[in-house]
Amino acid sequence: MQEAVATPWFRASFREWFLTTDHKKIGILYGLTSLLFFVVAGLMGMVIRLELTQPGLQYVSPDLYNYLLTGHGAVLLLWWAIAFWAAFTNFLVPILIGARDVAFPRLNQLSYWFFFTASVLVLITLIPGQHIKMMWTGYPPFSVHPNAGPTALYVLIVILIAGSTLGTGVNFITTVLKMRAPGMTLGSMNLVVHGLMASIVVQLLGVPSFVGAVVMLFLDRYLGTGFFDPAKGGDPVLYQHLFWFYSHPAVYVMILPGFGVFSEVLSTMSRKPIFGQKSMLYALWSIAGLGFFIWAHHMFSSGMPYWLRVFMSFTTVLIAVPTGIKIFNWVATLHKGAIHFNTPMLFTLGGIFMFLIGGLTGIPLALPAFNIHVHDSQFVVGHFHYVLGMAMTFAAFSGVYYWYPKVTGRMFPETLGKISFWMMMIGSNVLYFTQMVVGLMGMPRRYVDYPPIEAWINLNVIETVGAFILAAGILVTLIAWARGLKGPRAGRDPWGSPSLEWETASPPPPQNFDTFPVAVPADWTPYRFDGRTISGR
Amino acid sequence: MAHAATYQSEHETSVWPMFVGLGVLLTPLTVLAYFVWQMPMVSVVLGGGSLALLAVGFAGWAKEFFQHGTEEGLGPIAVAAFIVSEVVIFGTVFVAFWLGRINHADQWASFIPADLDKMFALWLTVILWASSATIMLSQRAFERDRRGLAMFWLFATFALGSLFVVLHIGEWSHLAAGGFTLGSNIYGTTFYGLTGVHTSHVIVGLASHLLLFGVVAGGLMKFNQVTFYRGAALYWHFVDIMWLLVAANVYLIGSTS
Repeated sequence: MQEAVATPWFRASFREWFLTTDHKKIGILYGLTSLLFFVVAGLMGMVIRLELTQPGLQYVSPDLYNYLLTGHGAVLLLWWAIAFWAAFTNFLVPILIGARDVAFPRLNQLSYWFFFTASVLVLITLIPGQHIKMMWTGYPPFSVHPNAGPTALYVLIVILIAGSTLGTGVNFITTVLKMRAPGMTLGSMNLVVHGLMASIVVQLLGVPSFVGAVVMLFLDRYLGTGFFDPAKGGDPVLYQHLFWFYSHPAVYVMILPGFGVFSEVLSTMSRKPIFGQKSMLYALWSIAGLGFFIWAHHMFSSGMPYWLRVFMSFTTVLIAVPTGIKIFNWVATLHKGAIHFNTPMLFTLGGIFMFLIGGLTGIPLALPAFNIHVHDSQFVVGHFHYVLGMAMTFAAFSGVYYWYPKVTGRMFPETLGKISFWMMMIGSNVLYFTQMVVGLMGMPRRYVDYPPIEAWINLNVIETVGAFILAAGILVTLIAWARGLKGPRAGRDPWGSPSLEWETASPPPPQNFDTFPVAVPADWTPYRFDGRTISGR
Repeated sequence: MAHAATYQSEHETSVWPMFVGLGVLLTPLTVLAYFVWQMPMVSVVLGGGSLALLAVGFAGWAKEFFQHGTEEGLGPIAVAAFIVSEVVIFGTVFVAFWLGRINHADQWASFIPADLDKMFALWLTVILWASSATIMLSQRAFERDRRGLAMFWLFATFALGSLFVVLHIGEWSHLAAGGFTLGSNIYGTTFYGLTGVHTSHVIVGLASHLLLFGVVAGGLMKFNQVTFYRGAALYWHFVDIMWLLVAANVYLIGSTS
């Protein structure tokens, strides 16, 4: 049943899409699924925002609100912030390292099936009566209580997502270690490959901890074990430790690929090699490693040994060092560069700005003395929407705009892209900055209602206005991507970059490159722009 | 350094991951039907369908690979990466065990069931470790071109592993009959938790032996295509080493107050 397919992806039949083992098609499948759920969960967020515009209950019942909050959080984190990078990993990594496909193409298809199955389960939660309401964190004892909805659905969704990421993980680790083009060393690989791989390694080590936690949750709920039940000698805080042992590193899963995209776009659009490539690598991988030793800063109000608080607080502040190194390197890359302010570049600069705000508000949050006062307030929500929400989304949008000519073979409409950027930039800052302010004034997160304090109401109204601007901006980008499919042809190398993906046709042929092996010279680097110009825009 | 031999010759579509994927799709529905929707009969049907699809899918996958695929020798790296994440899964249950053990040190003596037999754990260890030796002999025989001998040792491995599972289930029902169950106390929870996680891995290992036996007996696997053999053996050794940790913790440390 195995056959050679000679047509490029955009002319492939339904059957070829359905049974494909081609990393490019699988990447596009991940991307489209991810975008669909991004829109759905974003709309859930809009309903939440509308409900919070005024105190009292206007549009949704408290039960439905809990479901929307759970869905908004879980879907945007798992389907957008993590899975959208799977689209990048699948489409780009084999091309960027000059390989024919991944090491195990069929396993790659199976990984998508796991993701697909998890998506089906998410759709099941939309049915009334199947709503899951334990928040995306799923803390016991609430999550094992019948009021939280079917715990099994939450548990199975997590397990299936884990299956998908582990399949992708072992596949791409093998691919990058063994299938690089002759002459390409690990150190000379594109930074975006390192970003995507660091996130995969973090998932490989972290996801099983989350799986262990939710399996125990399942056993507690349905088979009467006592893992998290103090009456049987268990400990509910154990769940929080196991959960955050993955879910804190998960924020680096979401942002490290974004750092990779920032590096690619900044370097190409300033026509300069990335400043301090080696220090970028050390910073990237030390964030990935250090990320496993800071999880308990999510639990400063949960009760834990004093020394653990101090240790976790210290390590959390420490992670600002490699992050700072990266930001200084990006700024240094811009210095004396020939900067092109096109759409991918704008999204990259905006993303770095949003990450900076998110990072700077993260430092005080790392200090228990400050943290316990704002714990579970809207301040925290604003903070992580800057980092995970906007920095990640800007990076992803920047990446899509940057590689759009490669994936589709066409140029996107530049004006729409720029309009979208400014709308998203203004909307998100209005929304999330105000959210941090109202949080500092004491407004807690997760509740459907709040007391009618005038300052809170005013700020919530401003937030809602910002949310609508942001949503409209995202819509403009989606329109730009759709219209770009009929745009002018892009050619092989619209950005004038020596990186390997621009060596092949746009869109790449099924076998990726015309000749194999794709050998590169010993001193090859993807960031040498001598004698190349941007022909795109 | 990259290897020049790692380029696939052609682009593919394959139906077999879809069969496995549909099996994967039915598995959570089975669990939901049983535990959430309270429809045990539907659950049995779905579960049966899931197992059939998984079996057909993996068998077809292996057949297709050994008939058309190119041997690249990359399997053991992937299995090693997978084992790393498995270690973390075991780690979560070990953490639960030790947390309970430390927090309830003063009551622990009352948690230990009277009929817990440490000698039995020793027998289980001997059986499982013997199977590690047999799979090694099997792999060596296969690499020396002796298919019959390889199949004999592989069958021995499968038999020993199955014996382990059967004896273990017997031990569980014996203990449960004596009143030591999943919900008795944190020792019961983590005892069955750790041994249960381990036994589920043994069963996955046994399934891989069946698949391996099929491709060896059917003559599909050539003597220069040993990657799958090595990967399966590596995983089996991991399961056996893990048993030593599990048994040492739940049987030796657990039953000492």
